[in-house]
Amino acid sequence: MAKSHMKSPVVGISATDKVFYLLVNTVLVFLFIVIAIPLWSTITLSFRPNHFIGTNFEGMFLAPWNWSGAAYKALLGNNGFIMAFFNSIKIMVYGVASALFLTVPLAYALSIRTLPGRVFFIVIILIPHMFDVGMIPSFLMVKDLGLIDKLAAVYLPTAVSTYNCLIMKGFFEGIPDELKESARIDGASEFTLLLRIILPLSKPIVMSVGLFYAVSFWNDFFHPMLYLNSNNLMPLPILLRNILMASGMNEFVEVSAFGEAPIQAIKAASVFLAAIPMVIAYPFIQRYFAKGTLLGSVKG
Amino acid sequence: MGTKRMLLVAMMVGLLLCTPLMAQGQREAGGAGPVDIELWYGAAITEAGPPPSDWVGFQIIRDKLGINLKLTALPSNEADQDVKISAAAAADNLPDIFMVRREVWLRLVKQGMLAPVDDLYAKMPVRTALQYDADSIGFTTFEGVSYGLASPGSIAKNEGVLIRKDWLDKLGLKVPVTLDDYMQVMKAFTFNDPDGNGKHDTYGFGAFIEINNFEEGLGRRMDPFFGAFGVAGTWNMTKADFGLNVRKGKYYDAMAFIKRMADDGVVDPNWLAYKKDDFRAAWKQGRFGIMREQNAAFAATSNYAPFDKNFPNGEWIVIDPPKGPEGKQSVGVYTSQYRVYAISDRVTAEKKDAIARLLDWMSSKEGYYLLGWGVEGVNYTLDDGIPVAAGVPDPEYAFTGPKGQPYTQLRNMVFYNGEVELTSRYPTYITATSGKEMSALRVLVDMQSRPWTAAIASDTLPPPSTDLKRFYEQGVTEFITGRRALNKANWDAWVAEFDKLGGKAWEEEARSVAVANGLLR
Amino acid sequence: MDASVSVPSSGKTLVRRIQRHRAIYILLVIPITYFIIFKYIPIWNGQIAFKNFMPRQGVLGSAWIGFANFVEFFDSFYFWELLRNTVMYSVGKLLISVPLSIMLAIMLYECRITVLRKTVQTLAYLPHFLSWVIMYGILLGLLAPGDGLLNDIAKAFGGRGIDYLTNVRAFPWVVLLSDAWKEMGWGAIIFIAALMAIDPTLFEAAIVEGATAWQRVRYITLPSILPVIIMVVLLRLGTILSGGFNQLYMLYSPSVYSVGDIIDTWVFRGLQEGKFALATAVGLFKGLMGLFLLTFSNRMTRKVSGSSLY
Repeated sequence: MAKSHMKSPVVGISATDKVFYLLVNTVLVFLFIVIAIPLWSTITLSFRPNHFIGTNFEGMFLAPWNWSGAAYKALLGNNGFIMAFFNSIKIMVYGVASALFLTVPLAYALSIRTLPGRVFFIVIILIPHMFDVGMIPSFLMVKDLGLIDKLAAVYLPTAVSTYNCLIMKGFFEGIPDELKESARIDGASEFTLLLRIILPLSKPIVMSVGLFYAVSFWNDFFHPMLYLNSNNLMPLPILLRNILMASGMNEFVEVSAFGEAPIQAIKAASVFLAAIPMVIAYPFIQRYFAKGTLLGSVKG
Repeated sequence: MGTKRMLLVAMMVGLLLCTPLMAQGQREAGGAGPVDIELWYGAAITEAGPPPSDWVGFQIIRDKLGINLKLTALPSNEADQDVKISAAAAADNLPDIFMVRREVWLRLVKQGMLAPVDDLYAKMPVRTALQYDADSIGFTTFEGVSYGLASPGSIAKNEGVLIRKDWLDKLGLKVPVTLDDYMQVMKAFTFNDPDGNGKHDTYGFGAFIEINNFEEGLGRRMDPFFGAFGVAGTWNMTKADFGLNVRKGKYYDAMAFIKRMADDGVVDPNWLAYKKDDFRAAWKQGRFGIMREQNAAFAATSNYAPFDKNFPNGEWIVIDPPKGPEGKQSVGVYTSQYRVYAISDRVTAEKKDAIARLLDWMSSKEGYYLLGWGVEGVNYTLDDGIPVAAGVPDPEYAFTGPKGQPYTQLRNMVFYNGEVELTSRYPTYITATSGKEMSALRVLVDMQSRPWTAAIASDTLPPPSTDLKRFYEQGVTEFITGRRALNKANWDAWVAEFDKLGGKAWEEEARSVAVANGLLR
Repeated sequence: MDASVSVPSSGKTLVRRIQRHRAIYILLVIPITYFIIFKYIPIWNGQIAFKNFMPRQGVLGSAWIGFANFVEFFDSFYFWELLRNTVMYSVGKLLISVPLSIMLAIMLYECRITVLRKTVQTLAYLPHFLSWVIMYGILLGLLAPGDGLLNDIAKAFGGRGIDYLTNVRAFPWVVLLSDAWKEMGWGAIIFIAALMAIDPTLFEAAIVEGATAWQRVRYITLPSILPVIIMVVLLRLGTILSGGFNQLYMLYSPSVYSVGDIIDTWVFRGLQEGKFALATAVGLFKGLMGLFLLTFSNRMTRKVSGSSLY
């Protein structure tokens, strides 16, 4: 499918178009290099053995047979790692579920231009986007709701982001009105319309927004730190933060919590371990990008 | 209409699912029986997990003391700790007992959030004898009432000036004594290729900016040079000459010396950009030949191992800090370091008694060893009365091993830098590559014998305002980087502006606090 | 058109319009309730900005102190500098990162080499996951004055090492470009999603009419995603006084305070001294500025392009 899209127009390609595609490809290759090099240096850093001498630059060319998995071993062997991982998954799943459950209807409602009071509702959701009143007012709210030391305290207060909601609303607005009208004439209720017509047409944006939410819940360290007290609820970012920020750890004496791995390797490895679920998720989401409305363009 | 209603019901159910029902924390055991005590502790090894729920300590505490202990590890870095505690305090939601930094503690005292603890000292005879004295009680006393329990923190004077002995020998240099000697050696280390690799990749001195409220400005790693001019640390705590060191004339001379070091390129040029871990990675890679470092960060097994592997012939020795023109010398300032545990004033009398019981038991022989090292025969064995990791059946579960560490997370609540601890924490060992005999304890004793400046309780003086603090730190670094030209006129103008911005008032405020609490010696 | 409807009946039409949309209002009930509870209770609690907040007295019980917290912020010795730095970084990122994201999205859309497209698309979004702690390590490796890669290269060509991270002239560029590097691919996702919605028949028609690739980008692709671009830019303008706390808190140091200290980092250092009400006051100030700017620019874009937030 993708291939036919790639090749067909090449037949009649003009000189200016050639320059265009050459430029596009060159820039992308350049970007590839610019992004890949520091990523590579972080990957090699995570495999760096304790006794390595040299700059990061030299570290990038360290032969794989000299790599050391000590950092990964130390992290995966950490007592709390598995539990923290599952807590993070929980927060992310509950979080994304409640976020989409709240965002999609809201965005859809606001995308209806004829809705009386629409501007009023938009202003209602815009104001919290701009007025960040800080930690204490939110903490008081969470406490009053009795959510302290519950996972809900982590994902509910941030469950709707105005940014995501308005972006989604913008996409819904782009769906031709005729589609909606014909469905309404066929007697579809607004709910069926949303579920059967709007959502299937909006897969890329629902997926993107879902991804944005997922990542923000997955990476959130601040709210768990603030609201959770029980050790059995702590998510991954707390654990990683304890590792990343524990710069005093070298003073711990007899210690070798991380044995043979240097602290920089531990830091780099922890970032990669934490990012893995998101890295796996993205190509999966990309499939929806291609399958959605893109499908039509294959014909060209 | 039917689908509509169904969807509405579905949405309601969905909302219910979103509510707290879905995920709850540990349920507290209610009703009669053991007293619940919620404790927020500072973990001994932050990256290792908390004591597991089947830890024998919980059982003992429940059976013997009638306490149901609920533990929460505070975040690993101080800023996060402050945030968590401050937020809980603002919502009037503090735990029963918690570790807290003195600045935050003082604020909570002023807001009336903490319980007085004067009556507790007598209720915990064992612990009070080991951990508390007039100084520690003074540390947590506000307007005549003690609002917190201050236990000994990290060991005083545990840092020292270290030099690469092998580099000195290779270049045929003597151990530097005066500032001039230091300068000569630093130049030689920078330009005479002490590691003999033919590249210009070594420097005389290595540091990074490590600031706290009693070591302002360029921070503690540069203090040996300020010490040579008698202006180490933020404050001069003597009766005769109390005040901010930065406002003293000698501070300019020290700045001029450091500026010369920077201009001559004998300081690792990365020092302003380094964070702690970068600095520590740098000396292990042999980047510089003189530094101020902490005893265990230098000499403990896992910290020294990479250096040993990289430079089997390398050797660091502790030396005296540089001697200034008037013969002054000092590694830096030291204070009595404490860890403060405070009690929420929401606790009932019954809970307060339970806390006293708990803390006193912790300091008993049973509690001390259990919290400090774990279970004998499982997590440690005794060698001549000293707990050691050797000889336990499963080394993973030794108190130093990855599975054993969680059992010792509370050890900072019982340690008081006694003989047994120090010997156990800093064992003598043979390094893996070069076979040297090392001991962090020996290093510590050596470091403590060097010249230091007392600045006891200088960490209890009021902090500067946010703006003033920035003005101070930014100013001194800008003089070093050359963004501000360092000459007497500029410096005086800068100090005058510093005064105008509140520097003078800050000093006066601190003076009144110091005088009122009898801190000047 | 509505204006032509006679006044007395307009009330009736409104009622009828509301009735016609009642299903939509039902959809709105839960989200709006959510907003009231989770967003407006904190804003209500935000009154502590005008109070001497004491935990024991609670939000309502604490004494009013008027604008003292705001005055403390405005009176800061560094107020104007903080404002300048904050605006410099948020506008700078808007001008660098957002156009780069758009460019990346379009180039990925146009790229005909599948392998290249997929690799870059997946790779470009990865740096978002590197926390700034890690980024600092990478930047130090590249830019350290002693042994950074860039300086090693400069020295090899006989140049002098530059202390990028601690030099006031270089530092803002380090901030802006590292942000672009880290967030460009992430920011492109939303534009890629927007590109997926373009009607492919438009391109077919353009090709038939002999439009060049440049023209297709200029006259079809860009106009199609313009509403999304405007939305993103407007929403970012609404938070213009937040310049990226996590990044600057990690990257700055005393030697670059004069160009690295932004409102949020200043507030954070105040938070460490327990100035919570001050933080809330600054939050309100930032919100007010964002509100003005957003309202104004929303009006402008509506006039110029016809699309707007509401």
